[in-house]
Amino acid sequence: MHVLLVEDDAVLADGLSRILQGHGMLVEVVGNGTQADQVLQRAEVAVAVLDIGLPGIDGFEVVRRLRARGSAIPVLLLTARDAVEDRVRGLEIGADDYLVKPFATPELVARIKALARRNTPKPAVLSLGDLTLDTAGKRARIKERVIDLSVREWAVLEYLLQHGTRVVSKQQIIDAILPWGEDLTLNAVEVYVSRLRLKIADAGITIRTIRGFGYLLEPST
Amino acid sequence: MTSIRLRLLKWLIGPILLINLAGASLTYLLAWTPAQLAFDQGLVDAAGALAARLRPGPGALAIDLPQQAEQVLRADPVDATFFAVRSDGGALLAGDADFPALPRGAGAYDAAMRGEPVRVAALATTAGGQTVRIGVAKTLRKRQQVRSATLRALVLLETLFTLALVGLTWFSVTNGLRPLARMRSELNARDGRELAPVGGADDVPYELAPVVSAFNDLLAKVQAGARSQQEFLANVAHQLRTPLAGLELQLEWLGARHGGDPDTAHSVRLMRLSNQRMIRQVKQLLALARAEPSHFEKARLEPLDLAALVEESVQYFVDEAAKKGIDLGFQLAPALVAGDRFLLRDLIDNLVDNALRYTPEQGTVTVSCGREGADCVLAVEDSGPGIPPAKRELVFSRFVRLDDKTTGSGLGLAIVRDIALAHGARAAVEAGKQGGALFSVRFPALS
Repeated sequence: MHVLLVEDDAVLADGLSRILQGHGMLVEVVGNGTQADQVLQRAEVAVAVLDIGLPGIDGFEVVRRLRARGSAIPVLLLTARDAVEDRVRGLEIGADDYLVKPFATPELVARIKALARRNTPKPAVLSLGDLTLDTAGKRARIKERVIDLSVREWAVLEYLLQHGTRVVSKQQIIDAILPWGEDLTLNAVEVYVSRLRLKIADAGITIRTIRGFGYLLEPST
Repeated sequence: MTSIRLRLLKWLIGPILLINLAGASLTYLLAWTPAQLAFDQGLVDAAGALAARLRPGPGALAIDLPQQAEQVLRADPVDATFFAVRSDGGALLAGDADFPALPRGAGAYDAAMRGEPVRVAALATTAGGQTVRIGVAKTLRKRQQVRSATLRALVLLETLFTLALVGLTWFSVTNGLRPLARMRSELNARDGRELAPVGGADDVPYELAPVVSAFNDLLAKVQAGARSQQEFLANVAHQLRTPLAGLELQLEWLGARHGGDPDTAHSVRLMRLSNQRMIRQVKQLLALARAEPSHFEKARLEPLDLAALVEESVQYFVDEAAKKGIDLGFQLAPALVAGDRFLLRDLIDNLVDNALRYTPEQGTVTVSCGREGADCVLAVEDSGPGIPPAKRELVFSRFVRLDDKTTGSGLGLAIVRDIALAHGARAAVEAGKQGGALFSVRFPALS
């Protein structure tokens, strides 16, 4: 995944690019808006991470020019300011997400991945621990053993896996697996999750309950 | 300390007393002099009557003064009357032999007779070619009676007048100073952070206007000072964010790269802890600066659901809770309030952060929100040690920490209180059902 990082603070840019590289991303760093504008005219950038307060033309202007060219490259704005006007303005001119410094690295990585996913077809295979979900073949495996899942159980597990180890709420699960507005209670989600727990008990991952809210996947310890 | 009231009273009552005293003296003189003259005139008349009875006879001068007439002359129930008619040579023609010597001219004067002060009217007349001196005297008893009656009446009246005047003056001065008293109570009613101008423009008296306007100018300067201090704080906090973020990332990388070496890993872990504390404190300073009334803008208020705001931070809370193995739970129902998004997120972050910080490992923390009648309540209950009733107000003060074992800035709950106040909400703490602390913030609900 090719990430363009536009940040004028050398220490932050250096640290961020190393961390992102550690997550398997190909990171290109530039330090000002003009260079960013030039790099963005090449098409191979998957996600742009853009500081607002840049020397020369600022982050807002870079996004404005990018969108004016009709490009759909996802943009994540970084800022040291958190005035609500900045956020609104950033999203209005076509940025896709917004993060205030200092941020937690997992948060940034997750958001970059989410933005990248938006523009690429869903990966055919999701996996965590010993569990793999082949979305094309609709087949779930623990190591080499195929496990049997109902349609709803499949949808819940797929949604959880798409979010890696991040928290999702029961309501988010319902909204995601029922695109046609069917009725599903929060209790029903709990039932699917408890069945899933039995079926993936030996997959090296657990579905942790966040009491009164939702779930997250984590590798078993 | 000088008092305007005392000064006014001194300068009003002092002169009034002096003028009253002068008026009383003048009244006394005006009343007493004619009385004195009338008494004297009575004596002069009596002397005249005696003169009219002189009978110039052949050889010696005689006076026709029968017993009866003398009794009439001497008749007075109060005063003793004396008289003497003497020839130029001093021979007594009639009257009292011990009458004091008579002067040559006529007039009234004071003298003494038989051990008592008397008033004497003397006149000289010529009868039968001889000069005759006539003197009539009366003791002063009646005069003294009249005089003391006059004095008594005057003193009584003047005392009453003076008391009335002092009372009126006191009342008027107090009445005149009332705008000052009003302003004082208006200022007393303020808390330290209210820097709006004093006195509605209409009810400030003309004389007080320059003072009020100077005072308001000063307030404006103080407000500008406070504002620039807050802006400075906010700017510093903003400026620190980028370098702190950079440092955090470098440390994270270093930790991942050299985590295998225990010494390096230990050192890097400590550095990251320090850095994260700095990041947190910078965030808190910024939150404090934002919650200041001089910074708080009503225009930024928007309808916000507390449940949705909590959800935005759930990931962070879950990660933090996991570090201490705390069971973090939620009970979120829709709760719509008018609020500033960033401030309310700061409030929620600090409230939950505080609970996670003071709850022991493997403890329980529950975050809830929802509508309760006309209020929306956000509550965080923990299974920590709780807060003794005596300290429940204190914990919301800046830099107050109940426990030295936990690292914290002592600012978190002060931020919660400031932000709650700015939103017309009330932050409180009570004992929870599990013996821990139950923090709640009660907002007016948005219907």
